[in-house]
Amino acid sequence: MQPRKVLVVDDSKLMHKMYEVMLRQFPLVYALDGREALDRLREHGDVELVLLDINMPNMNGLEFLAAMKADGAIAHTPVIVISTEGKEEDTARGLEAGASAYIKKPFHREEILDVISRLEKGTAA
Amino acid sequence: MSEATKTGAPASATSASAPADSELVVQLRSALSRANELTQVLEANLREAESERQQGGDGQADERALELERRLATAESDVKELASRLVDSEHQAGRLMNLYVATYQLHATLDPAEVQETIAEIAINLLGAARFVLLLKRDEGGDLEIALNQGIYGEPEPPFTGDSYRGGDAMVDATLADGVLRLGPNVDSPALAAVPLRVQNDIVGALVVLKLLDHKPILRSEDRDLLDLLSAHAAIALFAARLFATKDRKLRTLESLVKLARGE
Repeated sequence: MQPRKVLVVDDSKLMHKMYEVMLRQFPLVYALDGREALDRLREHGDVELVLLDINMPNMNGLEFLAAMKADGAIAHTPVIVISTEGKEEDTARGLEAGASAYIKKPFHREEILDVISRLEKGTAA
Repeated sequence: MSEATKTGAPASATSASAPADSELVVQLRSALSRANELTQVLEANLREAESERQQGGDGQADERALELERRLATAESDVKELASRLVDSEHQAGRLMNLYVATYQLHATLDPAEVQETIAEIAINLLGAARFVLLLKRDEGGDLEIALNQGIYGEPEPPFTGDSYRGGDAMVDATLADGVLRLGPNVDSPALAAVPLRVQNDIVGALVVLKLLDHKPILRSEDRDLLDLLSAHAAIALFAARLFATKDRKLRTLESLVKLARGE
């Protein structure tokens, strides 16, 4: 089953547009930082996947993950981190913080679709 | 020095092509899936025919098996061909999406700061640039303003420091002089790319890529398309935004003067 709604968290409007074009098959909601993303998640109870950048103002991706995991109502929502931070330790940090998968920018559309597909099957890492 | 051809305008049909290409990918996926199903059916038939033959079937079974083998070989060849076309199409679709989004976003605003921000976002998110500078000719004076100076792994080094660029990198200087997009690095320059920024036939600046993200070892062919797009569109978007800002400021001043003259 594909996610009913996807929350895109990225401070880049260019990336918002990119996700809009790449993921036409999913209804998307957007946030420009972690704080706004928490509000969106609470507003939209039907969000079933979060695409999360790490470097953002106000509340970065890792802080958002910590806050999200501490809130029982939204803690279960799967998160795919999509970031320019591409070192092994960055990936490990994202996954330890609770992300379901980690994709490095720049990326191809197939990478996201592949991860979403694997999340559906429960095999994403 | 690796020198590329002069840049031209990017494909004008980019925005229309991206969704069409996506549909092609969907169609190819569907065709591939059907071809796989056909292969499975043929393999099952082949196994069946082989089984019949082993059970003492006559010459008809042999013929059927041979025919099925031929059809299987054809189907497998079709599957390979379709798989290859699918990969090409997905690659092409991704390339067009990048170009469409970059063009759309560059011209989505008339705020000069936002246009510069978009150029930086394209460099970081779509090209994978870790360190880069944006050089723009000043209205007065011969030097260039360093309008953007961004570095994820530390700041750029001389001659790309401070507020102005006065020359010093041979590859960048050559690009600013003749408007040719150049890829490096080479003995004269550590820069990975010097992208001329054009407004009609004038070179008004350059985007200089100095380092890529650690996980992106080289600029690929699809990146060249993005560099060409930046060369053709970034300066025009910036120029239009600056022009609008200047006009807007003048208009506000005139309105204030009119109000003052009317005693409002």
